[in-house]
Formats: sequence, structure tokens, C-alpha cells
Amino acid sequence: MTKSGETLPLAPKIDVSYISKIALVVTFFVLFLWSWVKIDMSIFGFFSDFQNVINLFGRMYPPDFAEISTVISAMVETLWIALLGTLGSVLLSYPLALLAASNTSPNRVLGAFSRGAITLSRAVPEIILAAIFVVAFGTGPFPGVLALALHSVGMVGRLFADALENADEAPREALMAVGSTKRQTIRSSLIPQALPSMIATVLFRFEINLRGSAVLGLVGAGGIGTIISESLETIQYRPALAAVTVLFVVILLTELASNAIRQSLIGTAANIGLQSQHTRLWARLKQRRDTQVLNDSLARRSIVQPWTSERLFRLGAMSLVTILILVAITTVDINWFQMLGNIDRVQIVLKQMVPPSFAGERSMLISGLVESVAISIVATTLGVMVALPVGVLMARNLNVRKWFSTLMRIIVLAVRGIPELIIAVIFVSAMGLGPVSGTLAMSIAVMVFGGKLFADSLEEVSPAPREALVSVGASRSQEFVSAVVPQFVPSFIAHLFYMFDVFFRSSTILGIVGGGGIGFLLISSIRVYEFQLTLTIIIAGFAIVLVIEWLGLIIKRLYR
Amino acid sequence: MISIASLSKRFPNGTLAVDNVSFDVPEGQVLGLLGLSGSGKSTLMRLLNGLHTPTSGHTTILGTVVDQCSPAELRVLRRDIGFVFQQFGLVGRMTCMENVLVGALGQLRGPRFGIRSYSKVLRRQALEHLDRVGLASQVFQRADTLSGGQMQRVAIARSLMQKPKILLADEPVASLDPESSVQVLELLTRIAREDKMTVVCSLHQVELAVGRTDRLVGLRDGRVVLDTLTTAETDPESIMHLYRRTGAAEVVLTQEKEYA
Repeated sequence: MTKSGETLPLAPKIDVSYISKIALVVTFFVLFLWSWVKIDMSIFGFFSDFQNVINLFGRMYPPDFAEISTVISAMVETLWIALLGTLGSVLLSYPLALLAASNTSPNRVLGAFSRGAITLSRAVPEIILAAIFVVAFGTGPFPGVLALALHSVGMVGRLFADALENADEAPREALMAVGSTKRQTIRSSLIPQALPSMIATVLFRFEINLRGSAVLGLVGAGGIGTIISESLETIQYRPALAAVTVLFVVILLTELASNAIRQSLIGTAANIGLQSQHTRLWARLKQRRDTQVLNDSLARRSIVQPWTSERLFRLGAMSLVTILILVAITTVDINWFQMLGNIDRVQIVLKQMVPPSFAGERSMLISGLVESVAISIVATTLGVMVALPVGVLMARNLNVRKWFSTLMRIIVLAVRGIPELIIAVIFVSAMGLGPVSGTLAMSIAVMVFGGKLFADSLEEVSPAPREALVSVGASRSQEFVSAVVPQFVPSFIAHLFYMFDVFFRSSTILGIVGGGGIGFLLISSIRVYEFQLTLTIIIAGFAIVLVIEWLGLIIKRLYR
Repeated sequence: MISIASLSKRFPNGTLAVDNVSFDVPEGQVLGLLGLSGSGKSTLMRLLNGLHTPTSGHTTILGTVVDQCSPAELRVLRRDIGFVFQQFGLVGRMTCMENVLVGALGQLRGPRFGIRSYSKVLRRQALEHLDRVGLASQVFQRADTLSGGQMQRVAIARSLMQKPKILLADEPVASLDPESSVQVLELLTRIAREDKMTVVCSLHQVELAVGRTDRLVGLRDGRVVLDTLTTAETDPESIMHLYRRTGAAEVVLTQEKEYA
């Protein structure tokens, strides 16, 4: 060894980032323990709690399908609410996104204003919006549609604007070079590029809204949620399970259908080589017809676009959606003229919200928020502890048996189909009111949500260092710890804070079904028309979300 | 040391990447494997240490038949074979030291996380190797802050941790600029000769290979089309001429002459 080698230290200097990482872990553990005590969790309680849930399922089984027609009509209403809510959010988001995206925005002020509007629309959970609208318009599906439409703008509008901003600039320049107006360039160069991503966003939001609309019934905004919560409250467990089953199946089916549409749009399905004989024959027939159609129109020098199978599929999908929307508008239990005529009632409610005040509930508000924070910390931590191994098992690149990962993905997809507030309703009726039921219900949601997130980033890990480690003769566990884990850490931290953000928002509505946190005060304030308090709670909750996002930014920088 | 006998590899998608390749590499020889991209060099290298399994034929390395090894035997065998990759295979977020230390994992039991989980003896060795490749001052720098040439030197230091008898280098300089290419290849061959390693190094530039290797084997479409001993005086042009001109039959002839 050379002299320079001998004087060198054998471990890196202990620097600020090292100390802050340790401090962070310690802080986290302290916070976790504090939250654990705060919401009265106990390890021994776990077993009796889950025993209670299993007992409840025992009493629910077999499901009682006697009232199936009521259940199905409620389910159809849920579907229509989700569909119309999504439609509404698209109608609102499209102009907002055009104003907000940097490459289409007419001017900076309008751009900043629309971006602000998009962000703010996400601040209030949809079920709280629905509860407020129920006060304004009375019970029924209309407040639900309105709530979903407004709340969804936060996601749909932002992703629409992103899609526009991500579009390639070159076609736009080419169009400007031929002397087209700004509107023409947007219409002919940006929108065609952004459209596939926009449609994927709408489909994805529709899935989320379907799960959202299933629980709107809890605040009187229509749909199947009413049936589930009412039958659980009146101890009619077997009809409740029937309703949950119907909901579960419908959600799963729509998710599969929208997945198929998305794949056919974004085009991974086209490249899968494992098609069955039947579909290959179908593909051949389709291709033969397409060549014929294309040649025909070429021979006749037709200026009408030929009816290729792709065009037929697109027209078919568009007409199907249009018909569904028309059916939804005409058959849903909403008197559109009356409701849209009364739209100014929203304004009346909004006016009652300002100025925000504590209405004498300052201590209730603080303890509720603290409880919500504690619930989200414990639920996220417990859920992540399960989600990590689940994510590893779901990642196709980490498992020798690919079918096993696929199986895990299907299971997770299935559990994800159940809205978390429905899980919370079931847990609360099994274990009783309080934050423990809410926390455990939410940790189930964290498990499947996190499992999917973790699996997706684990699959993105670069294979090069793994191959290098296999080559030095490392075992599978050594390879995992030394090549996969270090690459995964930054995305894990990012996901963790994203989940804190998402599940803190969820924890503020658990109280609606008796799952603890600020939700109880929030929903009560709406029910007794204390709208000034409602606004205070919403502002405080939003402030906490901002703090979580800010902390996330700082800590993500530490773990680059 | 290395003996390849009518080795073939066909991938599930139908590509025949390696087509009936046979040659032996005696101990201490530095062999350059020439060929264009897609000629089967990388696949052949990966067949040698068992990262791929052959469709037919056998490889014998250090007296072990690679394709008949159990996963555990394969791990034992790989400890003696260093592998240097075109894309380095470093974890960008880890320091140079830790990236070198993972080279010792084959000798250790169980997973390791963080520099402090390795013994001081190993850490001192890692330092020595980093010093040897000229990176002693970058020991605790993150790997993703290095230049390409430096990254490949870290990767070489990592394979030195194995104290390998055989060093396989798959296009070690293909992702580097011309200047660092020469430096890295110079370093690699010098260390290999100092430590008396047997080397198989794939390259696609004849000029780089000549003068640093003892022998050149050329691949085209998975088949050996060239096999010739080289010295510092060999003219790269003549090799290129051979590579372009030779059909498989002529190569067999030259091979037989030289290794009869």
C-alpha cells in the first residue's frame, strides 16, 4: 500500500447529512410511539380487533340477496354519479388546463389564477363537498355529482395541463411557420399529442370517482353507500355483505374494462406476444380488412378517411360513452332544470362560511386535528411495514416465479377496489367507534396503495448493478440489499411522504363513519350549519397538508 | 483455464447469438474478443460466467463445467472470475468505497448495508485497490459524481476485491471517450499482467486491442471468423483485413496451424 493509502480513513467523515438522517429516524420513531399512545393502539388489541372483524364477516356470511333489485338500482345510481361527476370535471378542467399550461396560457396572470384554482379544488375532500352541497340542494345524487366534478378538477386539470406542457414543440413551430393562428396551432399540434394521455387521465379519474361515489351515500348524496351504512347500522349484516359484494364486482369490472381501453390507447397491448390463437386469427382478419379498405380508398382516390378497424373502434368507444352519458343524464334521479336553477344556493352557503371562526370549538378542533395526524402516522407506518414485502413480491423483476408476482398484483388490485371508507364502516361496526378502527381500516388501504407504488418503482431499478453483483458471486439476498435497496431508497422516501399526504387527507374524513380524527367535528359543523367552523377546519387541514409537502421536499433532498 | 466446446446460445425470441463456438484460453493469456455490435461478444462473455445458460455445448472454467453447476456452485465459481461491464454496474448513490466493497460479497455470508458493515480488513483492501486504479482521493465520493473513465476504474477495483484468477471484460471502454478508453484499457491490461490473470476482453476497435493483447478472436454473427496471435508489432490493418475477408473455413485453417 502507498503512503497516501495509509493515511486515508476507513469510513467516511460523520457529516451533517449523516447526523440529520439519524435524527430523522429517531424523530420518526418518537412521533410514531407518541401517535400510537395518542390513539390508544395496543399490540394485544390487534388480535381481538381482527378477531372481531373476522367474526363480523362470519355473521355477514352468506350474503342475503333478497333485496337485490334495490341494491342494483343504487349501484346504477352510483355509476351514473361517477360518470356525470367525471364528465363535469372534464368540462371544467379542459378550459382551466388550457389557461394554466405554460405553452397555451394567454397570459401569466390568468395562468397563475387557473393553476391556483386547480390546486384549491383538491383542498376539500369530495365527501365534505358533498355534505355541504346536500345542505344547499337537499339529499339526492345531484350534490354528489357536483362534489365529484369540483374535487376532480384538482387532478384532471393538473394532468391535462401537464399533458399539454409535455407535448413536443416541433409540430407547433411547423404550424406557426405556415402562418396559423395560436388557436389553430393549439388545436392541430398540441391537443392531438396530449389526447391519449388526457383520455387515460379521465379513465383513471373515473375509477377513482366510482370508488368515491360509492361512499357519498354516507352523507346523503345518493348511491349504494346509503344501503351499506344503513344495513350495518340496523345490524342487517347479510344484506350489507350483498351490497358490498355487488359494489366490489362492479368496481373490479370497470377497472378491468378501463385498463383494456387504456392499453389499447397507449399501445402496450399491441406488443404483447402471448396472444391466444383466437385473437391472432382475429388480428389477421382485422389486418386483412384494413389493407383492403386502405387500398380501395387509394384506388378510388377517395378523400374520405377509410374505415379502418382502429377508426371503427374509436367511433364505437366514443358512441358508447356518449350513449352512457345520455342515459345517465336522463335516468338519474335529478331534476336538472330545478337543480341548475338553484345553483346560486352554493353561493349562499359559501357566504355563510366567511369569516372563518372557531365557534367556541378551538380545543375540539385542535385535538381532532392532532388525532387525525396521529392516525395517519400510525396507519401509514403499519401499512408500509406490510406494503414493503408485498411490493417486493409484486415486482416482476425480483421474483423468479413471474406468475406469483402476477397473482399478488391481482390480489392487491382486488383489495384496492374496496373504498377505504367502506372498509372503515365495516371495521367500526366490528370493533366499535374510535380511532383504532379507523387506523386499522386505513392501514389496509395503505398496504395495497403502497404495495402498488413500491412494486412499480422496484421494477424501475437499474439491472446493471444487480448483474455486476451476481457476477462477483453474491447471493440473492446480498444482491437485493446491496444493489436494489440503495437504488430504491429515494423513491421510497418520496412515496412515503406522498402517502402521508394522501392518507392525512383521508384521516380527516374517517370521523364521518366514527373512525376518529377531525372528521366528526367537520361533518357535525356542516349538519348544524356552523359553516364558519367548517371553513376553519378546512383551512387548518389544508395547512397541515402543505406542511407535510414542505417537509417531504426537504427530506427528499436529504435522500437524493 | 478456459475451454469452450461447440457452444451455442439461442434466445427465446429466436436469435442465434452464439453459433458453435470453440476455443481454449491458456493460463495467463490476454485475449481480445473482436466483433461488431450484435456479433455475440456479450452473450459469449455471459455464457462464460453462467449469467446465461447455453442452448448446447459446454464451457469449462478452472476445471468446472459452468453449465452443469448448481446455483450455489455457480456462486463459488464466480468468486474467482472478475467481470467488468460496459455500463460499469455501479450504484450511483453509493460511495466509491462501498461500490468496491460489494466485490467482496461473494466471500461473505449474508447481506451487508453501509460501509461500516464491512470489516476493517476488507475496507483497507478496498482502499488499496482504489489507490491502485488511481482514485485514492475520491474514496468517499458518490459514484454518480465521477466521470465515465473514473467509474470504470471503480468497477475494475471492485473486481480486484475478488482476487480473480480470470477477468472477463465486456466492452470495458465502449462507453468512454477515446482518451479515457486508452487509459482504462492500459490500466486493465497492466493490472491483469501484474496479477497474472487470464483475461478475455471484448472490444470493437482493433487499434485498441493490438499491442495490449496476446491473441485476438473475431466474432461475426455468433461465429468465430478470426483467431490469431498478436504482438506489439502486429499491424492493425492486417487484422482488419483478415476480419473482413475471412470466411469460417479459412479461420479453421489458421487455427489448426497455430494450435496443432
